[in-house]
Amino acid sequence: MSLLTMILKMSEGLGKTCAIFFLTLLFSLPLGMLVALARMSRSRVLSAVTRFFITVLRGTPLMLQLLAVTYGPYYLFGAAVSRNKLIPVVVAFSINYAAYFAEIYRGGIESIPVGQYEAAQVLGYTRFQTFVRIILPQVIKRIMPSITNEVVTLVKDTSMAFTVSYQEMFTIGKQIANSQTSFMPFVVAGVFYYVFNALVDAAMGRIEKRLDYYK
Amino acid sequence: MKKMRKLFCLLLALCMVFALCACGRSTAGEKKTFIMGIDPEYPPFSYLGDDGSYTGFDVEVCRAVCDSLGWELQIFPVNWEEKLIQLDANECDCVWSGMTILDTMKDAGYVISAPYYDNSQVLVVKADSGLDSSSDLAGKIVAVQLGTSGEALLNDDLADLASTFGSILTCDSFLKCFTELEGGAVDAVFVDLPVAASYVSGKDSLKIINESLGAEQYGIAFRSSDAELCAQVEAAVAKLVADGTYAKIASKSEYAEIVNNLLFLNNG
Repeated sequence: MSLLTMILKMSEGLGKTCAIFFLTLLFSLPLGMLVALARMSRSRVLSAVTRFFITVLRGTPLMLQLLAVTYGPYYLFGAAVSRNKLIPVVVAFSINYAAYFAEIYRGGIESIPVGQYEAAQVLGYTRFQTFVRIILPQVIKRIMPSITNEVVTLVKDTSMAFTVSYQEMFTIGKQIANSQTSFMPFVVAGVFYYVFNALVDAAMGRIEKRLDYYK
Repeated sequence: MKKMRKLFCLLLALCMVFALCACGRSTAGEKKTFIMGIDPEYPPFSYLGDDGSYTGFDVEVCRAVCDSLGWELQIFPVNWEEKLIQLDANECDCVWSGMTILDTMKDAGYVISAPYYDNSQVLVVKADSGLDSSSDLAGKIVAVQLGTSGEALLNDDLADLASTFGSILTCDSFLKCFTELEGGAVDAVFVDLPVAASYVSGKDSLKIINESLGAEQYGIAFRSSDAELCAQVEAAVAKLVADGTYAKIASKSEYAEIVNNLLFLNNG
């Protein structure tokens, strides 16, 4: 197999890799905010439950979570295994990443001095207005580097979807490596991931720059 | 700050000294260690036993070989798709785990032992699916384990059959293939006969389609430079066959499904 055919074949899987990446971000970024708010809730029960879930999601391997989401329903309830593997993969990734994002959001929100809340209250802002108009814009600026970190990790983590037989780029690479007894597909995969992450890095850098007003 | 740097240098120097010490460790006079590369998920040839240690037919034979040669056996579970790369990297001295002998292995220069097992591939389907032959699977989804001979066959010798399938799903373990089948995500699993037999036995919901696809043989793979090692192991196995130890291992009930396919016992 020529290098070109190899690259073309693996590019087919790249679309699926991108699907995991973008869908996971789409769901986990907002979900993480909800989790963060629940975690900081005044309700002790809600806070404790969220905290427990975060420890579980951060404390067990993503690979295990992928298996649990994909095959768990079958083993527990005899439910059919999903034919479209993208669904369980995105669900597992989104839940897992939401847990990490939630803790980043929480760190950002808690870094804003209490004085700002008091000042906003004096100026007649409601709690919702204070959060959305005053706190959140500052939080986003502060947490961008940490978010970039997670996003870059997500690009590489997509290769784990192979655990549940989702045929993304790395899976196809492994299949080619195996049938051709060649190490080349892994090199190609490495280059693909590097380029993908270089693009992510550039995009995140631009966003960070945009947010860099008043400093 | 300067103090810190000095301390760091000292630590680094110490590390280097220790690293050198490790290099100089003498191996003379110790027992030779033979590292056996296995797929830990391939019953009954090699698997994690009930007691948590690796066992299986190949493991037991290898242990007997090592005993007779006075070697110390060490078992190394390989990543099946990358077994030959790991062999080349000296992570193990052989791959001995129900491994199908492929022409590509010989072409690549690996030393392969004489075959000891004859195997064929079969299709497993749900008992109530109404599927009775490979031709019934036109348009259906078939699961296969990545890195197995089944996968290679579907890409190569059985490509015509494979092209009639609706699609092929590649899983990284045979357990996942079967879970996909039982969970209804695929219609059939293409797998080695002994694995199929051991999984299906005692399960009424599954059946094996009585059609042997692509017969093949198992052997042991060594590095291209280890022809002598291969001959040594082959001779030791021959001795075990001659003195009956081999037959004794094969007669265990857990190997009942494979005993008829063992070449050394059935060819006299």
